[in-house]
Amino acid sequence: MAGKPVRPTNAIDQTRRMLSLVTYLRERPGARVEDVARAFGITEDELVSDLDVLPMCGTSFRGGDLLDIDTDGERIWWHNPAALGAEAAEPLRLAADEATALLVAARAVSTLPGLREGDRQALLRATAKVEAAAGEQAGASSRLSVTFESEGGVFADVDRAISERRRLWIRYYSPARDEVTEREIDPIRLVSVGHTYVEAWCRRSEARRTFRLDRVAEIRILDEPSAPPEVELRDLSEGLVQPAAEDPEVVVEVGPGGRWVAEYYPHDSADELPDGGLRISLRTPDPTSLRRLALRLGRDGRIVSPPELADSARRAAREALAAYDGVEAQGASGAHRVHDGQYGRQEQEL
Amino acid sequence: MAIAKAERLMNLALCLLGTRRPLSKRELRDSIEAYVEAVRPGNGAAVRPGNGEAVRPGNGEAVRPGNGAAGSDDSFNRMFERDKDDLRELGLVIETVENLDGEVGYLARRDSNRLPPITLDAEEAAALGLAAKVWQQARLAGAASGALQKLRAAGLPEDVDPYEAHGALEPRIPVHEAAFEPLMLACRDRRPVVFDYRKATAARPEPRHVEPWALECWRGHWYLAGWDRDRSAERVFRLSRITGKVRTRSGRYTADVPDVVTVRETVASWAGETADRSALIRLRTGAGYPLRAKAGAVRELGDGWDELEIPYGHGLDAWLVEFGPDVVVLEPAELRADVVDRLRAVAKG
Repeated sequence: MAGKPVRPTNAIDQTRRMLSLVTYLRERPGARVEDVARAFGITEDELVSDLDVLPMCGTSFRGGDLLDIDTDGERIWWHNPAALGAEAAEPLRLAADEATALLVAARAVSTLPGLREGDRQALLRATAKVEAAAGEQAGASSRLSVTFESEGGVFADVDRAISERRRLWIRYYSPARDEVTEREIDPIRLVSVGHTYVEAWCRRSEARRTFRLDRVAEIRILDEPSAPPEVELRDLSEGLVQPAAEDPEVVVEVGPGGRWVAEYYPHDSADELPDGGLRISLRTPDPTSLRRLALRLGRDGRIVSPPELADSARRAAREALAAYDGVEAQGASGAHRVHDGQYGRQEQEL
Repeated sequence: MAIAKAERLMNLALCLLGTRRPLSKRELRDSIEAYVEAVRPGNGAAVRPGNGEAVRPGNGEAVRPGNGAAGSDDSFNRMFERDKDDLRELGLVIETVENLDGEVGYLARRDSNRLPPITLDAEEAAALGLAAKVWQQARLAGAASGALQKLRAAGLPEDVDPYEAHGALEPRIPVHEAAFEPLMLACRDRRPVVFDYRKATAARPEPRHVEPWALECWRGHWYLAGWDRDRSAERVFRLSRITGKVRTRSGRYTADVPDVVTVRETVASWAGETADRSALIRLRTGAGYPLRAKAGAVRELGDGWDELEIPYGHGLDAWLVEFGPDVVVLEPAELRADVVDRLRAVAKG
């Protein structure tokens, strides 16, 4: 399935899986490869590699009672299920890590505000049953927790539009331009990575766009059917923001107080500076969107290039200062005059 | 070629689960092909690819007659101990029993390893299927799938394909921080740790000695709450600011672990989400939607400007400066001064 992370083969995971497989296969003679792979959430290739190992396993190498399991590529046959005593083939208890991984994820998903109520109830029931079955192994799961952020009402509308295949009208806030625009979108899927996003085909830009739900100012489900073109779903495991190589480069230098920039912005490089700061190089399709960053940084950093971007931040700051009272405005215009004349040299000195 | 580790672990698990009496180390070694191969004389090197440890002959157990070099015994013992640990990680309860002759034996009793009866309907199964795939961290993704597979083996319904049933919703728990896994294990096992931590505004990292309590993911970032031994106080750390390796320390916790650990409240107050005061600003008409969304009161001034009352918490000055000339702070004076100060720094930049 698209977007499913590809895991490298790991002896621990494979052993865990094979132990469950023997229990499962014992009850289902002639099980189909396709069905078993789906039930176990693995690819058919992964399953076949397990089936290559199982005939080398048994309760005793010397006794000749290896598991006689084989497949013709379509079905799986176990010719000597008695090789494994009933006691060795019973479902195994959950390990602490397994209980933690499943319970923490289940609790997190159950807090998604837009989850359908029926699904939430089912998940809460399942969580309670797994907690009971895990017994003391469930204890450590309280040491991990995850909160998904999403805007309840917006989430529910997007979710409904996706399941009913209907188009959405939204008013959407773009922080880069500090403006709210209206657009019609054909929603494709909802993704929660820290924040919750809807991936959609935007009818205004005729392109695929990702919208953060907490930036949706208003939403309406339209009567028109949603008809997004067939698009390949991206693997989002590396993050939603994936700048392209051809995007213009922006270089920012920050002091120690601006090091957070490297945590929040995907970047090509971040080199240490002698004062404890960083020189960060990043790409964005629209450098003007970083004027906000330059303003926010204040004395903790500055844009090195492109120079037009640095200029626009300075201009915006001076314009803003002009609105404050007399002394401040004077100071601002004074600075304005000096810097206009000395911009190039100033740049060199810094 | 050495026999694959998964095959060896699987055989050890099946032997321990299938036996009714404790099996001695020697019986296990003689029953499992991978061990037989490991102790075969002259074959020691073949089983240690990537192991790196030097074999020191004569340093292990007494050499048994006719049993090859002591080095083989050593490498078998190490392999056997690691394998038992790995199986225990998978949840197997392996008992160590001494028989009347003083010989140690091992077995995995069915009573202590059986999954208690659990019956889930198709809806509950589908919901768990969705939850099991949210982890983007290899160890937890593997553990969650493993849990689901065990439940599947125990009869979890398959009628609804969990990977398709919730097509619209794809929650993901991101884990990009290298410190996550060691800290998760330290929280689980209650082990003190030491790591280098760079505070948001500090140039250099400093070592911190911490008794880790809990990890929490908020807005896509992971945080650790615990007892900071150097400061003798509860602290919250952001995992992305941990530089270098997390090392565990021996010994017990010195501070009591609270019943409820509140990471989110602490982080929310850093993020300025807890405001105890309010501020009055002028905002250009049409601009600053997020400020409007937070505003308690909006008054249209009619000259292209609106007047807004907004919550005033930590970091508001930096946020307001982002809006440049579209925002003017009216009060309080302290916020006004902070904003002017920041604007001047940018104007001089």
